[in-house]
Amino acid sequence: MANRVRWAFLIVAIGMLVVGAYAALAWAPPDREMGDVQRIMYVHVPQLWMALLAMTLNFASSVIYLFRKSWKTDSLAEASAEVGVVFGAVGIALGSIWGRPTWGVWWAWDPRLTTAAILLVAYCGYLALRRFVDDPERRAVWSAVTAIVAYVDVPLIWFSVQWWRSLHQVQSSPRTVDPQMVLVLRWQSFAFLSLMIFYVWTRYLIAMAARRRELAMPAELSAPAPMQTSEVAR
Amino acid sequence: MTCLHLVGAWVEGAAQGVGAGRIVGGWEYVWAAYGITWAAIVVYTTSLIMRLRSAQESEDPR
Repeated sequence: MANRVRWAFLIVAIGMLVVGAYAALAWAPPDREMGDVQRIMYVHVPQLWMALLAMTLNFASSVIYLFRKSWKTDSLAEASAEVGVVFGAVGIALGSIWGRPTWGVWWAWDPRLTTAAILLVAYCGYLALRRFVDDPERRAVWSAVTAIVAYVDVPLIWFSVQWWRSLHQVQSSPRTVDPQMVLVLRWQSFAFLSLMIFYVWTRYLIAMAARRRELAMPAELSAPAPMQTSEVAR
Repeated sequence: MTCLHLVGAWVEGAAQGVGAGRIVGGWEYVWAAYGITWAAIVVYTTSLIMRLRSAQESEDPR
């Protein structure tokens, strides 16, 4: 049953993205100043929102892991970090493509872009750390602490356009944007949310399978104290 | 007076220019963005499905 629900998220996401692509490319009106180039917003913004949401999930899982040690929260942290990096990397690449015709450059060291690049580097480091440490318990603690430190950048990204007015525009409000644009953006956001749920869920199952292999004790995985499981595994 | 007229005309012209400029075309950027998005979705979805299948097979070899 759970497996069917997981696949349903992918099917819903693909269906919504197909409809959303038509709406974004043909139905939504062009921007007054950016013209048709603004249509990039419907894939750029939702993917970066999903990246920030995934990083937030990673942060929450890491904090919970430090208080209630469980392989489930550790696996969820690993899954959400990877999914966040994928959405973040694609979102930043699309922002660069959007920047070329509107700003005249592919990249600028604007506060929003710089903090987004730092986030990507920080979470790539987080994923690298997870690969380099062999001991599951030590890896879980170290990566949880790294995740909490890396998350400091997320609010900086969000507020960077308000604190340091620079090249990147501030967040738009539904009151100032055409209702058709708002509708398509919301539609695309839910489509990417459904896709993100499928991604995190699937990646979580992969991470849990890896933990079970490492510990070679499937029955002990739900135990609240991982110290016991790792000691037995040794 | 002539200078004031010039400055006035310049300010008026600048004011009219705000919001009047519009990027024409640029569809190649839009197609590139949507192409990258769909390519990333296909590649990452396939990668996850294959990795999960591989993990499940190694756990339960038949």
